[in-house]
Amino acid sequence: MDSDRPVVIALSDAGNISETIVGGKATKLAQLASAGFTVPRGFCITTWAYQSFIEDNAITATIRMELGRKPMDDMRWEEIWDVALRIRSLFLTHACAEHLQREIDSALRRLDVSKPLAVRSSSPSEDASGTSFAGLHESILGVKGSKSVQEAVRLVWASLWSDAALLYRRELRLDPAQSRMAVLVQEMVEADRSGVAFGCDPRTGNKDLAIIESVPGPCSLLVDGVTDPDRWELDRRSRKVIAWVAGERAGDTDDEPILAEPDLQAILAALASIEKQFQWTPDMEWCGRSKSLTVLQARPVTTGKPDIDDKRDWYLTLRPGDARLREMRRRVAEVLIPQLEAEGNMLAAAELNGYDDRQLADAIEQRREALERWKKIYWDEFIPFAHGVRRLATYYNDAVQPEDPYEFVALLQNQPLIAIQRNVAIAKLAQEVRLDPVLQNALEDLLQTHSGRLDWKRARDASARTGNESLAKFINGFEEFTDQYLDIAFGQERLYETTESLLRNISELARIDDKPAKAAASSLSPRALEQRLFAAVGGDRYEEARDVIETGRISWKLRDDDNLLVSRLESQLLRALEIGAGRLRASGGLVGDGRPDAKDAESIMDCLRGGSGTVIELHASAIEISKLAPCADTGLTSRQLIGQPASPGIATGSARLVQGSADLGTFRHGEVLICDAIQPTMTHLVPLASAIVERRGGMLIHGAIIARELGIPCVNGVRNAVELFSNGNVVTVDGYLGIVTLGTPEFDLELNR
Amino acid sequence: MSDHDEPLFDDGDTGRSIASPQPSIAARVRSLVNNQPYAVLCMQGEGQPYGALVAFAFSEDLRRAVFATPVTTRKFRLLSECDRVALVIDNRLNRAGELMEIEAVTATGRSTLVDRDDSFDCWAELLVSKHPNLKSFVNARSCALFLVDIVRFFHVSSFQEVNQWIPTDQS
Repeated sequence: MDSDRPVVIALSDAGNISETIVGGKATKLAQLASAGFTVPRGFCITTWAYQSFIEDNAITATIRMELGRKPMDDMRWEEIWDVALRIRSLFLTHACAEHLQREIDSALRRLDVSKPLAVRSSSPSEDASGTSFAGLHESILGVKGSKSVQEAVRLVWASLWSDAALLYRRELRLDPAQSRMAVLVQEMVEADRSGVAFGCDPRTGNKDLAIIESVPGPCSLLVDGVTDPDRWELDRRSRKVIAWVAGERAGDTDDEPILAEPDLQAILAALASIEKQFQWTPDMEWCGRSKSLTVLQARPVTTGKPDIDDKRDWYLTLRPGDARLREMRRRVAEVLIPQLEAEGNMLAAAELNGYDDRQLADAIEQRREALERWKKIYWDEFIPFAHGVRRLATYYNDAVQPEDPYEFVALLQNQPLIAIQRNVAIAKLAQEVRLDPVLQNALEDLLQTHSGRLDWKRARDASARTGNESLAKFINGFEEFTDQYLDIAFGQERLYETTESLLRNISELARIDDKPAKAAASSLSPRALEQRLFAAVGGDRYEEARDVIETGRISWKLRDDDNLLVSRLESQLLRALEIGAGRLRASGGLVGDGRPDAKDAESIMDCLRGGSGTVIELHASAIEISKLAPCADTGLTSRQLIGQPASPGIATGSARLVQGSADLGTFRHGEVLICDAIQPTMTHLVPLASAIVERRGGMLIHGAIIARELGIPCVNGVRNAVELFSNGNVVTVDGYLGIVTLGTPEFDLELNR
Repeated sequence: MSDHDEPLFDDGDTGRSIASPQPSIAARVRSLVNNQPYAVLCMQGEGQPYGALVAFAFSEDLRRAVFATPVTTRKFRLLSECDRVALVIDNRLNRAGELMEIEAVTATGRSTLVDRDDSFDCWAELLVSKHPNLKSFVNARSCALFLVDIVRFFHVSSFQEVNQWIPTDQS
């Protein structure tokens, strides 16, 4: 070890050492300890240790590659999360050098190892005054034993590149060549009360007030949003309580504040002392009461209203802790999804044709309200629950430390998603057609004379005319299928009205071999992965691991189902609007052959209620798609595009853009599916595709995972994916490397000149 | 960099240049190819030259170089059609006034695609040991490894001083 660059320093010695070496948290805690505050005992792993780790394992260049794959401003948060996951995996799969392990072990021997430890980030940039960001980096609590401490240290190092830190990369001046992370290892203090305290009102910056929040138990319950705290506002001059709001906690029966007056006064005094010492208004985490108050952390308070255009704070809320995730799972799975399903069924069952005009207008209003209400719930509750899958990812990777950070995805296979059940039903119908050449021909004849919605009567007449019993049976089965699965909207159109499209897909599926899916990305079965995880976490965490798997699976399933169930509500609104538009068209209140959508609801309701008498104009709108390339004027043509290698494999095929319901029926076997994002409404196309290219990026989005399951190459996160391609373009998709090549793979550019 | 002057041929046996610069041309070539990460790979297709940057590594005896390319690239196609290639490696910093400090090597030879047998792992390891960040790229199924059997090196320094060196068993 280089004695000029120690890798471990006792916390008590860290006060006079530069924050660039031990980080802001450690420096401040050491200075507080010197000033007489009680802080937990511990030691600091310096930024030199981090530097030596990344140099020993040549990690910087890989981080640079991850960050440089695509301009980060063009990345969706999920893509940034993926980048962070891969970097985290990089730190997990490399060991600390032996000399560092020895230093850590030696420092651990000076602590009370019977107590669980907290391994906390102490970033040189995180807490600098003016750039204070809470929760960007990781702190791991309840760590026991040398091996676990070392793993936790690597996780804390990796959190220098967490999704949250990457979102705030500019403010943190993150740079793979320069940025460093120190780590604080401290004994955890058991206390019956803990909380946070601010030397001003952090919402307004009012320095006449101090704010104290407290929960029973450890502070992590408050910080992670698991337990609702009691909250006090105090006048800093008179030191009197101005307001107290009790936290809402299950099982709390008495109405007494959980802190007594001496506790509050001790916290106020600590805030004042810290402010005097550091010359900034503090934001303090603490535990214990009155004279046994222990300071866990102190940093400058950040005030001000959130910038509503800055969505980063919202993204940070999408990473709930385990307890909150469990509560979300209960609410989403047991309350919200059944309610959403029931409301969709109820609205679908309504016989709208029997309503008079006013009743129909009310029905439109009811459906519009329901859709708005559920869209809000979708954003507020369904999207945050998607974290269940991400939690499974980090839990599995932390325990198993696999080479492939997406190995865990196989745990999500074979879940009974509504879309999967629908796809199985489609496959069955296709199999019926495949095995019966007479039916196949009859279906082709039927398709030649149909467009839009299948006319069941005409179809049945055709089967009766030809005496084709299998066609009659197929039509019955298909009608049942459409009732069950197609009463949904896709791009503001009801699929129920374009059943012919799906019939064409079935006819196409019937032409291809009914062979089992190609080898999936992971050769391991879900069962084998479960066993691998259980073995890695050990018997005492078996139940916890099972719970994380279960939450991940439910999250994965419901985040697909919720899309379809909300689109079912949208379909009900469109159905009511179509009936309304039909009536108005007949009475002269509406002209034009366009289909109504949500934006026409107001005028249609008004007209149905005998409103203004203005004639509504509804014209079919053509979708305009701007083509950015090839651009003849500049001679510029995109040749090779970079995205995320979302499903391995390589394939060349003809491009087919799917942007709306009209495109679904045109998809042919062997084509390369190009779209903005694979929606749950269109996953049945995936088995027909030779490869997939998506604009939306992410390894855990449904298109990517389904493609992996079926062994179909997929590259996602391709900028301008839809704009750069035209139907019929030859495209080569390399799902191993995330490369999409446009044009025939021929070297002919110069030869023809 | 000009290399149109006649090269100073070495004796071919010792790998030492007749001009005997210090350190030897062999050592300077070794230093350059070991320290520089990237080379310009020069190829041709039906008479049309083509160049591309590649990350490379050399074997210890400097008689073989290895680089990787995805199979969907023009590089791959051209190399499949014609195995005559050159690698240009230099230490430019692209600063004004450095002309006389620049060293460059043009290594010529024949390329072969490495089959995915045992030797693939060995060559992949050599490349990854020099470029650890390319590990997943090199190991991707759609990535091909090419070996170049080096025939000779042309070493250029001081703007126009050119030496040819053919690595031998003794060098």
